[in-house]
Amino acid sequence: MRGLARLRILFRMAWRNLFNHKAKNTVVGLLMAFGAFLVVVGTSTLASIESAMTRSVTGSVAGHLQVYSDQARDQLALFGGGFMGASDVGTLPDFSQVKTTLLAVDNVKAVVPMGIDVAEFYTQTELDHAIESLRKALDAEDDARVARMEHKIRSMATLMAEEFGNRRKIMRTKAEIDEQLAGIRRATEDAFWQELRRDPVAGVTFLDTKLAPLVDENEGYGMQYIGTDLDAFVKSFDRFELVQGTLVPSGQRGMLVNQHFYDNSLRNRVARMFDRLRKQLHEKGKTLAGDPLLQNTVKRMVRQYRRITFQLEPEEAETLERDLKALLPEVKGNLDALVQAFLDVNDANFDARYAFFQEKIVPHIELYLFDIGDVITIRSYTRSGYPKSVNLKVYGTFTFHGLEESVLAGAHNLMDIMTFRDLYGVMTDEKRAELAEIKAEVGLADVKAENAEDALFGEASDVAATPVATTSTFDELAELKKAAKQGDAAAVERFTQDDIDHGLALNVAVLLKDPSRLEETWGALYGAIGRAKLGLQVVDWRIATGMVGQFVSLAGVVLYVALIIIFIVAIFIMNNTMVMATIERATEIGTMRAIGSRRLFILGLFFCETVILGAVAGVVGGLAGYGFMAHLGNVGIPAPSDELIFLFSGPRLFPTVDSGQVLVALALIVVISVVATLFPAWVATRIQPIVAMQAKE
Amino acid sequence: MEAIVALNKVVKDYPLGKLTVQALRGVDLTIAPGEFTVIAGPSGSGKTTLLNMIGCVDVPTTGSVTIAGRETGKLKDRARAKLRLEKLGFIFQTFNLIPVLSAAQNVEFPLLLHGRLGTRERQRRVAELLEAVGLAEQARQRPNELSGGQRQRVAIARALVTEPAIVLADEPTANLDSVTGLAIIDLMKEMNARRNTTFIFSTHDEHVMAHARRMVHIADGKLAEDRALAPPAATAEAPEPGATP
Repeated sequence: MRGLARLRILFRMAWRNLFNHKAKNTVVGLLMAFGAFLVVVGTSTLASIESAMTRSVTGSVAGHLQVYSDQARDQLALFGGGFMGASDVGTLPDFSQVKTTLLAVDNVKAVVPMGIDVAEFYTQTELDHAIESLRKALDAEDDARVARMEHKIRSMATLMAEEFGNRRKIMRTKAEIDEQLAGIRRATEDAFWQELRRDPVAGVTFLDTKLAPLVDENEGYGMQYIGTDLDAFVKSFDRFELVQGTLVPSGQRGMLVNQHFYDNSLRNRVARMFDRLRKQLHEKGKTLAGDPLLQNTVKRMVRQYRRITFQLEPEEAETLERDLKALLPEVKGNLDALVQAFLDVNDANFDARYAFFQEKIVPHIELYLFDIGDVITIRSYTRSGYPKSVNLKVYGTFTFHGLEESVLAGAHNLMDIMTFRDLYGVMTDEKRAELAEIKAEVGLADVKAENAEDALFGEASDVAATPVATTSTFDELAELKKAAKQGDAAAVERFTQDDIDHGLALNVAVLLKDPSRLEETWGALYGAIGRAKLGLQVVDWRIATGMVGQFVSLAGVVLYVALIIIFIVAIFIMNNTMVMATIERATEIGTMRAIGSRRLFILGLFFCETVILGAVAGVVGGLAGYGFMAHLGNVGIPAPSDELIFLFSGPRLFPTVDSGQVLVALALIVVISVVATLFPAWVATRIQPIVAMQAKE
Repeated sequence: MEAIVALNKVVKDYPLGKLTVQALRGVDLTIAPGEFTVIAGPSGSGKTTLLNMIGCVDVPTTGSVTIAGRETGKLKDRARAKLRLEKLGFIFQTFNLIPVLSAAQNVEFPLLLHGRLGTRERQRRVAELLEAVGLAEQARQRPNELSGGQRQRVAIARALVTEPAIVLADEPTANLDSVTGLAIIDLMKEMNARRNTTFIFSTHDEHVMAHARRMVHIADGKLAEDRALAPPAATAEAPEPGATP
């Protein structure tokens, strides 16, 4: 009872003292409130990013856990870590074994085999299109159209002759380029075209095999893909969404292109730049006049004028020239000059030009490098070092929900795992020895591409055992394309689930029934792998994601370090102000000591003051943080960069905040205030009662 | 009657830089219960040091100070705090009220530290003392709302609330005008008479000194004079034989 009375007076004195030293306590209180605010905002933002990332990463490519060879030289980095294609994550020679072992573990819902790689792909060029049109015109005996296509191909060939002529000047050995130039020049001569009308097949074949491949060399595009069990992938990853076209039918080869990659890497550059400018001008409120970067985009767009002119049929070119002359009467010159002038947009004419572009130009050009349903040629260098090409039908485009805008997530295209295995190649010790032997024998540089495979593997190369994945060389490329155009690609051998399972994979995504038991399952997987002696390692999705995934951990470290620094500074400031205040209050403390207070009472008084201040500041700061985050949870935090789109799992992060975080902040602040009070309180207890006697007013 | 205060050859040294200042140079003094004693002397004479010794807020370098039968130099800090709380009441020159507490709470404060009385008894005593010092009306006011004289009355009430054996007052009237100062001395005298509490106070105000019954004069750290001022019987036994010049 009496102890309670003493406690009450202690509390009352502490409370009133707080109001008696307003300046000091306001500073200290604000500091602590800010700390509490930061704790709430920081921890809830991190937790929100983590949960957003968990959803998008586990639901798109990674799954909850990833399994790969423990012989891997590099860490698995699904969303980029090392350099493109440079990482070596080892191989899983027989996926079926892994599958059986992993699926037997409790809480494992699904396992999806994967292999990530990069390759170049080739597609029809403008010249291919022209030759195709010519072929059709010849078939239809449409002389006028043949004449128009002749004009077009000859003018392209003339440009090529010019370019190859320039190239010749810098070549040391001229033989090869002379041969190529001869071919190009032939296509510009009247004699060739008269001959072509007499023997269309020979003529078109000449164009297809001698002229078209010369353009191909410059038209390879890089592409990253995941070879996987497509059915299992689509079923297992809930963020997968088909955008255009269809899924690849079960048991067939084919690929699905990422919509982001399709729109940003495969789209006509002029169209893409127009859209990018429009976005910057209309959505971000920038102006061309005020932004040098956008001005630069315009300059680059002007230089891309051939992306339009090369694609136009002669009559389309005439129409466009007429329309452009009406739009730009002051411009003198041919279509090229007109298009360049047209593309040189400014703030005043942008909207009109954009509309003109959409209306008069877009319908006449190929907007994408290839269309959904097209067959593309993919060429990669296999692990054994030889080039390998396959033709593959693009069935559709897809995206990962929430990651539509992310470049990181948008880089992954999907491919059936059979084709992946062909492109990857399998390097056995036997073949490696053989390769080394041949290298030593002939010298690597001397192995001509067209001889390389025969020399290496002989006629019956078992690496390229599947019929459709035609082993090809540079010169065969044209043949391949022709075959593809004629629909040969559809004559794909079917494969079964057994074929998918009994073969190579690089890594395996493991999806769990109950993700909250991840840690436990992680251990169980290691147990099962160890018993089966599979030589695998298991990583969780954060690690498997690569640098971006680890960014969350890094951000956590940065946040905590920042908080620790802020708190250390706060402790110092509080410590100082309170020591000063203690000295100011020496008489009062001395008096209390003189009339019989024990040191413990003085100590209690100080801690009581601090704890009250800390609690008030903690509640105020914590609630402010809660309110702030709740507000952000409604409006969202816009992602300023692509990496953040990925982390946020969308263009905006809608953070969540819970009362637990406020309580943590409150507790932390109170503890910190007590720590900051230790020294001043000790100083206070050292004040002698005699001080009271010496006080002079 | 046994002495409530007994000083035996008390020496007190203070270090001052490299020098040592001797504030007290061997003081012998005994004070009986119920005395009303003034300690007089010029500034720097050691009178405040002497009061500090009696008040248990300081201990002698050599010699002994015995308060209510306990030798202060041999007590620990905590025990001295207890001794101050139970046997001593303090009145300061600058009043030294706790600014955040009301007049009544200031008076109640030592009782709370004491912790022996229930709420009702505490309130009774506080009310009684505030009544006695004439501040029943101002019970709820904070020190900064009171005049100097009123503050010192609160301090007197606070000093008396635990019913101490001794009340020490260091220049209690120094910060008051002479009329108020005399009123405070009257109040102290009244309390001394009514409760038989020993009052020991220092001053260098002649008018105030005249109200004391015994005057102890300190000069240069030594007892210069010790005499009874007025004829009351109580002072007869007080003078220390050896101290009288």
